[in-house]
Amino acid sequence: MNKLTRDHVGGAMLVATGAAVVIAGVGYGMGTLRQMGSGFFPAVLGVLMALVGVALLMTAPRAASAPAESAAETAHLAGPVVQWRGWLCIIAGVLSFVVLGQHGGFVPASFVSVFVAALGDRGNSVRAAAGLAALMTVLGVVVFHYGLHLLLPLFTW
Amino acid sequence: MHDSLMQLMYGFSVALQPDNLMWSVFGVLIGNLIGVLPGMGPLSTISMLLPLTYVIAPVPAILMLAGIFYGSQYGGAIGAILLNLPSHPPHAVTCLDGYPLTRQGKGGTALGITMMASFFAASVGIVVMIFLSPLLVRAAGSFGPADICAIMLLGLLAGATMARGSPLKGVAMTIFGLLCGTVGTDAISGTSRFTLGITELLDGVELGGLTMGLFGIADFLVSVNRTTVNPSHAKVRMRDMRPSLAEIRQSFWPMVRGTGVGTLFGALPGTGPTITTFIAYALERKWSKTPERFGKGALEGVAAPEAASHSKTQVDFIPTMSLGIPGDAVMALILGALIIKGIQPGPQLISDHPDIFWGLVASFWIGNVLLVILNVPLIGVWVRMLQVPYRFLFPSALFFIAVGVYSTRNNLFDVAIVAAFGIIGAILLALEFPLSPIVLGFVLGPMLEENFRRAMLLSRGDLTVFVTRPIAAGFIAVCALLVLVQVVAWLRGRRLVAPVASGTT
Repeated sequence: MNKLTRDHVGGAMLVATGAAVVIAGVGYGMGTLRQMGSGFFPAVLGVLMALVGVALLMTAPRAASAPAESAAETAHLAGPVVQWRGWLCIIAGVLSFVVLGQHGGFVPASFVSVFVAALGDRGNSVRAAAGLAALMTVLGVVVFHYGLHLLLPLFTW
Repeated sequence: MHDSLMQLMYGFSVALQPDNLMWSVFGVLIGNLIGVLPGMGPLSTISMLLPLTYVIAPVPAILMLAGIFYGSQYGGAIGAILLNLPSHPPHAVTCLDGYPLTRQGKGGTALGITMMASFFAASVGIVVMIFLSPLLVRAAGSFGPADICAIMLLGLLAGATMARGSPLKGVAMTIFGLLCGTVGTDAISGTSRFTLGITELLDGVELGGLTMGLFGIADFLVSVNRTTVNPSHAKVRMRDMRPSLAEIRQSFWPMVRGTGVGTLFGALPGTGPTITTFIAYALERKWSKTPERFGKGALEGVAAPEAASHSKTQVDFIPTMSLGIPGDAVMALILGALIIKGIQPGPQLISDHPDIFWGLVASFWIGNVLLVILNVPLIGVWVRMLQVPYRFLFPSALFFIAVGVYSTRNNLFDVAIVAAFGIIGAILLALEFPLSPIVLGFVLGPMLEENFRRAMLLSRGDLTVFVTRPIAAGFIAVCALLVLVQVVAWLRGRRLVAPVASGTT
């Protein structure tokens, strides 16, 4: 993805979000400037956001020549940007904590979330991931359950 | 002045209470520990440990957060110098000369100089804070809602445009942050806004969930399978860390100049820490009689930016504590923690809660002494920590994030919020949007809206209050100037680029 399309996507996203916010804001009630309704402030922000989006769209081709100042943040990264396995495993790791925290308890939630997330890195074997997950679960039970008295029960069915 | 010194003594008595001191030590230690880890800057470290502060009293909580902040900042310098890993962008410039020094076997010296520079710069920053904050508070006594609005606007605008990258994108992210702040029940009318029918969102988005998603999970998503490992053979021992007298002399003036840059930039609202360190470095190279040594291991190139970043850190606390208007995202987080503790930030904070303000000031000194004491013996441990592979690091960090966010409100829904903001953050990063203005907007959003509505109520809907009240008008004028500068810079950049573009096509 080159920089030109990046700014176009970003600008379009801002315009769309801004417009949606304005519609929602009007729905919440605008009120008057003296007695503002709850929709007033969001609606103003929505308009501003859409305007910034338009400005970004208009200046996008110029931005292609902007210096790559963000390099500092990504300087230590290499390799392809698209990492489906990593992405899926990380998000699934977080969400599994939510689901299992509700329906399994702290121990299964901890183990599965670490295990799934660890599988996202190609350098981890299933055994390494399981080992790390077991270690973190034990640590978590000691520190959070017994140490800090976390309210999540260890097991629930 | 005498008064300030008395207050400072009082501050020390607060900060030295065993309980407060313990949390301060804990903050510095844990901040340093996590800050050393690759990819963990002060923002992610603070947001990860934010839930811990909910269970302790306000004073130790804020002391701990401040400790985490400068601890992690120092930890970041270690990674930059020993591994060429800028886990926090402001340290990117430290890598330039720090890492070559490590390869020459002088990593220990560089760390020692960094420590001295930080301590010196922080001390100067603290002194500035002691004398400037009460002055600012006195001035703030006459501020009305319209004035506060104008100041907040300036802070937001400066934070958005003067950081790095595209100013437009910074503004867009500030607005996004402000919008995130409006989610939930409107305090005045009781209408629920942007809740998508989800009951859990009625109380708004959890600060910890938002920041951990943006700075934790989003960072994992961007970095997974992409981190390059620099095998470090840096062996740093305690006695290597003591710089020679000649080395101290060599880095003394760069340290002073760096501190000056940091203090100046800290006083300007919204100037990011990264730009500060880069300017300190550039200034030093320009000043030097031997600029060719820079980039190849010049101690000056480590001392100046590190001093700048630490003095800026301290000075940043001035508007945060005395006006309640944070200068950057980290300050916004600390302010957010105060609000959660039920402490209303603003000009009245210093008089209402002198224990927090003066305790904090005193704890800065204690904390910086602690940093020096801790880092000398623990450096071997940090070096080993640096070698924890990323494939073990991020799943563990993810686990701590999940537990941390859950524990904030004992609510699993907040953990799902983390995932959502992780995805949003990763998309925004891919589109090269800066993330820290979101936090600034999020924390200031509710305050801005409330003050704006109040100002309009007082003026009977007359928008001209923003130009007829002198204080508000002054800040609005600075805002306008800021926008003007950006537009001029953009136009000038366009003119420079135009011939090149027409030449190539």
